[in-house]
Amino acid sequence: MFALFAPPNFLNDLLLKVCDQQEVVNHVVWPFIQIGAVITLVAVWALYASYLERKISAFMQARLGPMRVGKWGLLQPIADAVKLLTKEDLIPEKADPYIFRYAPYISVAATFITFSVIPFAPNWGVITDVNIGLLFVLSISSVGVLALILAGWSSNSKYALLGGLRSSAQMVSYEVAMGLSLIGALMFARTLSLSGITLAQAADSVWFILYQPLAFVIFLISGIAENNRAPFDLPEAESELVAGFHTEYSGMRWSLFFMAEYAAMVVVAAVATTLFLGGWYLPGVYRLAGYFDSHNLYVFLSLVVFVVKMALLLYLYFWLRWTFPRYRYDQLMDLGWKWMIPASLLNIVWTGLTIFTLQALDGWGGLDTLEPRSAGEPLLALGLNLTGQGKGVAITLGFAGLLVAALFLARLNRHSRDFNLKKQRRQIRLVDVPKGAPAVATTAATAVAGEG
Amino acid sequence: MPLVKVPRAKLGEKLKRFFLADMFKGMWLTLKFNLGALTSRDSVRGFGIYTEQYPSVRPQVAPRFHGAPRLNMDPETHESLCIACNLCALACPEDCIDVIAMDIEMTVGGKPRKKKVLDEFIFDTSRCMFCALCQEACPTACLELTQEFELATYSRAGFVWNREMLEQGRESRKFEA
Repeated sequence: MFALFAPPNFLNDLLLKVCDQQEVVNHVVWPFIQIGAVITLVAVWALYASYLERKISAFMQARLGPMRVGKWGLLQPIADAVKLLTKEDLIPEKADPYIFRYAPYISVAATFITFSVIPFAPNWGVITDVNIGLLFVLSISSVGVLALILAGWSSNSKYALLGGLRSSAQMVSYEVAMGLSLIGALMFARTLSLSGITLAQAADSVWFILYQPLAFVIFLISGIAENNRAPFDLPEAESELVAGFHTEYSGMRWSLFFMAEYAAMVVVAAVATTLFLGGWYLPGVYRLAGYFDSHNLYVFLSLVVFVVKMALLLYLYFWLRWTFPRYRYDQLMDLGWKWMIPASLLNIVWTGLTIFTLQALDGWGGLDTLEPRSAGEPLLALGLNLTGQGKGVAITLGFAGLLVAALFLARLNRHSRDFNLKKQRRQIRLVDVPKGAPAVATTAATAVAGEG
Repeated sequence: MPLVKVPRAKLGEKLKRFFLADMFKGMWLTLKFNLGALTSRDSVRGFGIYTEQYPSVRPQVAPRFHGAPRLNMDPETHESLCIACNLCALACPEDCIDVIAMDIEMTVGGKPRKKKVLDEFIFDTSRCMFCALCQEACPTACLELTQEFELATYSRAGFVWNREMLEQGRESRKFEA
């Protein structure tokens, strides 16, 4: 069901001197080393994400951001961490103390567990390759909602409860679109294992964003909404709800929520990278490492490729946050249910039609979309195996799908814009006002008198 | 019959909405500022960083800026240029200058004479509105409002500057760059 990987050979020799059993090294020691490394790196990321956020927001607003602690303010996150660790851990008098204490841990754990199945690189760059990896990521990351609801509920505060309710409503509605948008890519990959999805793209030497541009857009938007980031940061809308679900939290427990948020951003970026941007696959890396005849170099370069792709997506997160204003609550629900979910449903249908077209076109009019297969082999046993022509057709249909979806949504939601304005204004009829005459305000007293 | 007239969108506007033109415009703006901050620091063109690192980097004030007062000295003899004529105190609309003069005995050409010299100069910066009328009234270019702008103190009494402070400049903490 799940596969663990051996460490790189130089480390393997070292570890064998300590344990002298290959199974122990493969199944216990090396996974623990990987887990430790990932947790450390993600924690450091969560620290420095706050620095990056402040710097990027400052640059976008023609400011400088933190500059005082260390060169270019680089030690600012450490100063912040020291401050948070030494702050008083306040628990409100009427709060439920146990749930209040453990909600941050649930939040952090739920996001950190998902890192175990993400393929950062081929071979020893994966902690474990679960054959339902994507399902695992989706199910575990939705446990994070539970933490927010518990935190909001147990705080016994109006703002926290409202924030928790909002976040649960938001996450539930966007999770649907998120899950549905993945199906299109899965129809091309034909596996739920995240390593398998990457390998499917490497085998076709094409990224699924080319086949599935619409799904990528839906996934990104739902992912941002899922992480409660601006412009979808309604659960912690500062101007309305003080701080949302973590209003009553202080010190380290508050920063755990913060950490979980930034780690969840990495998870969504990693899943988007794996599914749509080819994971660790970049054309030419294998050949480049082949010149040096080093497998470890290949894995390392793949890791760098993965991190760079993820970094670009994370920059997009910051970029969107500091560009767009926050959605109103009804607009958020509108976008989720009327735009994202129909679009993702359309994407499934469109992908099905694409694959059907690819199979129907094969051998028709000299076209050659699928790789030739042997006689007894079923049609879709090993992925789609598209030829160059087939890829061309798939990519064209993919981008056409973007346009089709836009037209479809524009048609579907053609009245959603005048929900509050045009239609309602047209229905306003004032009693006893002649055509074109200015309206005169009537008081309640005269209205009653008129009736009498 | 609608009471409010809602304008119908034209085709160009509809296309703009369809392709989310305004969204991409906004994203391009923030990206431009971010790249501008990383590459050039040209805030004049509007793409760079506008912030000054104040205590370490001194801001450039305008040439006609009026700040802390100063009593100038003769650069050769290091004696005060002030002749205690009281014109600055008369010119001041806020009445914040006090010139206290004293007569000293001296012999000019073998004859004893009395000369009016400056004893003490009181300048209340808390009442000053930095109009620089005193500077214009001064016949010897002694009183001058400099470009120095850090006038904050910890007490009200600190705003009243005496002759020594006006001549030497107030002691202030300078931050290194």
